[in-house]
Amino acid sequence: MRRSVPLVAALVVALVLASAGPARAVVETGPWTSYSPSFDVQQRGCGTVDGLTFRLTCSTASGDQRAERRYATYSSGVRQFEGYFRITSMPGTRISLKQTFGPDGPFFMLAVERGGRLYAVHGGSTLATGATVGTTVRVNTVHNTGNGAHRTYINGSNQHSQTGGAGGYYDKFGAYRTSSGAGPATVVWSGVQFWRK
Amino acid sequence: MRTTVTAATLALLLAGCSGGGLSAELVTPVDIELTWTADPAAADGGQVVEFATEPAGPWTILEFLPAGRETYRHPDLMPDTTFHYRVRPLVGAASDPVQVHLDAARSDVRLDDSNLSWAEPRTVTGPPPGPAGGPPTSLTATVKSRSAVLFTWADNAAGEAGQLIEVRTADSPTWTVAMALDPDVNSVGLMASAAERQAWFRVRAFTYGTSSAVARRTTGH
Repeated sequence: MRRSVPLVAALVVALVLASAGPARAVVETGPWTSYSPSFDVQQRGCGTVDGLTFRLTCSTASGDQRAERRYATYSSGVRQFEGYFRITSMPGTRISLKQTFGPDGPFFMLAVERGGRLYAVHGGSTLATGATVGTTVRVNTVHNTGNGAHRTYINGSNQHSQTGGAGGYYDKFGAYRTSSGAGPATVVWSGVQFWRK
Repeated sequence: MRTTVTAATLALLLAGCSGGGLSAELVTPVDIELTWTADPAAADGGQVVEFATEPAGPWTILEFLPAGRETYRHPDLMPDTTFHYRVRPLVGAASDPVQVHLDAARSDVRLDDSNLSWAEPRTVTGPPPGPAGGPPTSLTATVKSRSAVLFTWADNAAGEAGQLIEVRTADSPTWTVAMALDPDVNSVGLMASAAERQAWFRVRAFTYGTSSAVARRTTGH
């Protein structure tokens, strides 16, 4: 038997459901709790930080050239990071944009090469292309400290997975000269959020 | 007079299944395939496919696509997440192209790339403007160093959403986006990749045309 509902009622239901939506939808299975970890700003060499704008102003291919935020260390729970970056200028190349550090040092480092190739610094694998000057790229990382699983999503797609051990970890983002890279580069981050469960 | 709709119709209405020619299909629990009917407005500037994980955005461009493209696959997605999609045409004519030829052996250009402050996107006093509201004009490519080119042009648009530096390399018949720039920028430097050392470049001021209806799907796990 076909079931029918009055058109007016149907439209009212549609409008209500279309406008309700979650106040702040989070990716992957929740429930997630938003939190705001503390951070330190790190400026070394020719690196400068102005709010969420991170600049390497020199083309020096050596030394510590860094403009970053270093967030508080965590060691428990499942932690999610979300942020959007836009490279507004990049005459340089091979600049690290987002890092997760672990008890043994750099655990995961996301870097960009001139032309828009995003790659994992350890191993060099390509994670995505299209991070050209002026385009906005979304980054989500999910790190389960219980089983060590760490996933990186670029524009919604899982582009990198690895497993780490127990211990303290922390997130960094900004602009940092990798050992094979050089500035100049200007990166603007936005929409940075953290969740845990 | 009382009008009724079937429950099936209501379900389609609520699911945001398709509208304006864009549909999203979950082809695996974590892969979504988009199909749409290309908008004729995209004929000149191409189109962008965008996604968000909230109904109100923020929207992120997945890719700049040529005008005739009508499919896109979004793979390996975050599980248990609702993805919203839209397709928008880019409207606006491009400048005449200019050819760039970078030869490392040239003796009349600097080999030193140590001072690159001129490469920042800027609005400068530039060439005389062309017809108001028309495409950029007087695009010039000045070789600044072994691998660097400075582009300047007259920006004749008003109210554009942005500008694109587009490139067609010697080994490809198609134009792709090399840079996306803010409105009113008319000077920017490019450090050429290997393929861009022999290439054609043009600049386009664009606005967004009418968006497709939003299509959405929720991934599994």
